[in-house]
Amino acid sequence: MVLVLALGDMHIPHRAPDLPAKFKSMLVPGKIQHIICTGNLCFKEVHDYLKTLCPDLHISRGEYDEETRYPETKTLTIGQFKLGVCHGHQVIPWGDLDSLAMLQRQLDVDILVTGHTHQFTAYKHEGGVVINPGSATGAYSSITYDVNPSFVLMDIDGFRVVVYVYELIDGEVKVDKIDFKKTTTTNAH
Amino acid sequence: MSKKVPDWLNSSIWVSAPSQRDRISSLFPSSTPTTTSSDSRPPPLTEPPVPVPPPSVASREESPLSSPTGATPQINERKDRHGEGDQPADRTLSEEDVSRQSQLLAEVGLSVCNALSKQIVDMREVRRLTAQGVPDCAGIRSTVWKLLLGYLPPDRSLWSSELIKKRSQYNNFKKELLINPSEVVRRLDDSASPGSDHSHSESSGMLLRSDITCGEHPLSLGKSSIWNRFFQDTEVIEQIDRDVKRTHPDMHFFSGDTPEARSSQDALKTILILFAKLNPGIRYIQGMNEILAPLFYVFKNDPDAENVDFAEADAFFCFVEILSGFRDNFCQQLDNSVGGIRSTISKLSELLKEHDEELWRHLEITTKVNPQFYAFRWITLLLTQEFNFADSLQIWDFLLSDAEGPQETLLRVCCAMLILIRRRLLAGDFTSNLRLLQNYPSTSISHLLYVADKLRQKTSG
Repeated sequence: MVLVLALGDMHIPHRAPDLPAKFKSMLVPGKIQHIICTGNLCFKEVHDYLKTLCPDLHISRGEYDEETRYPETKTLTIGQFKLGVCHGHQVIPWGDLDSLAMLQRQLDVDILVTGHTHQFTAYKHEGGVVINPGSATGAYSSITYDVNPSFVLMDIDGFRVVVYVYELIDGEVKVDKIDFKKTTTTNAH
Repeated sequence: MSKKVPDWLNSSIWVSAPSQRDRISSLFPSSTPTTTSSDSRPPPLTEPPVPVPPPSVASREESPLSSPTGATPQINERKDRHGEGDQPADRTLSEEDVSRQSQLLAEVGLSVCNALSKQIVDMREVRRLTAQGVPDCAGIRSTVWKLLLGYLPPDRSLWSSELIKKRSQYNNFKKELLINPSEVVRRLDDSASPGSDHSHSESSGMLLRSDITCGEHPLSLGKSSIWNRFFQDTEVIEQIDRDVKRTHPDMHFFSGDTPEARSSQDALKTILILFAKLNPGIRYIQGMNEILAPLFYVFKNDPDAENVDFAEADAFFCFVEILSGFRDNFCQQLDNSVGGIRSTISKLSELLKEHDEELWRHLEITTKVNPQFYAFRWITLLLTQEFNFADSLQIWDFLLSDAEGPQETLLRVCCAMLILIRRRLLAGDFTSNLRLLQNYPSTSISHLLYVADKLRQKTSG
């Protein structure tokens, strides 16, 4: 039972001052084992805050990040799953699921976490699953102003993942979940 | 004029001379060299040094519970062993004292075996015999404690069915309570919508979001949320882990890197975690591990192999039984209540005043040694921290033998502890008295228990 937090595109301080208070009250240290951040934090204080939630932090570089040394893509293995992180501004067209699937096959991961569109999506294809946690602060994106703050928490338990989607709609936190299993036929090269 | 101290208390026979023995941290209990006067009163029953630790006893002796007729040859064996194991020269005990004591103990052992082998065990008889000390062999203590704590019913024919029932109940607890929330949620899901294949059927496409079951999600802050309780339990589990690792660091059974020590620690942890989960009101308090340790030790060292396998389950239920009497001591809110620790300590104070006013006055008024400073640990931990392990087992025999529960007896033993060192206390000031009481000098346990018993007769008489 491993809890992995996936979030990104906070754009603090440029487009948003901070995470919503309701999100911050839920995100307490000690519960989460890993954090995956798609990028565009943008500055160091956000990095430090995430570090207090969980010491195991994986970040990929977004185009507005002030820290230039984050990698463009990153892969890690948690339990039975291989996860990959990429901000997504590099993949054109932005948010195109087929192109992201190509990136996923390139990275050879089961779950690809990307951002940039500031919209939550979860898409399954033969190569695996693409998850976009959206923007944790609800900052406007290059595409739209209409953004609900959202992030994702994955509960990885053996071959099964339960993805909890936290979205702030009209001031209330709404939680949904998505269930999927890894079948051993995928990624069989 | 205040009540004078009775003469029999002032006799030199009751003064333990600490210089003559050091507190040994090994398993072997200390013996009594202070019978300076002649045998004008019955010699105190001591437990002679047991040269072999209990587990190996099984190989040399069959369980007396299965064959009471075979008891006679065993007594001789026991006596011989006690004779061999006696440590030379240091003791001023004479040869005849040793053999007489071991004979007395063997007689007690035989009587206990006889009492236990009856179809319906006479509980009063067992209690009476236990108060004199249970011999440290053939799993007698393990069975006796189980009887005294009500884990085994007096009717022997019911034993096997009771044991099976309780042991399987323990296993069920383990299965239900030790699973993580992901499992729980998965089971809820499966029961809510059986047979539905979630998203495996689609080969590709947008994954549909579904509602969470019962509002449960990992970051939930709700009090009744499984996840929230799980994370709160993790803190308790960490504390239990730390305390278990610190239990009896001098004993190989509990501490160290051996597989034996690790399995003991795991068992202790499981029991304490289950107790904390089953009792959310009281959870885990530091000190519970000390009360659990002797129970588990005695049950694990039972020569009967089946009992050893289930020592964990047995220890759990007996631990619950003991704590049920002492729960109030562990609950901070109840400190000032009628059954709470403060009132218990003041009862001890009253008891001391009743039996030895001079000492009471000196301690509480003259030197202002508040009983809370020393009695708190004595009472809440049932004296496990004041004596070495083997001695505390003997004290527990005495405590558990009381039909009304160990509380009253415990207070009497504490009172006896104070009275035995009265000379030193009367001569000391605050600092030295406090230091003495917090590091109680090693003494003859049978002396102590004899005095404690006498106190009961005096109050009731």
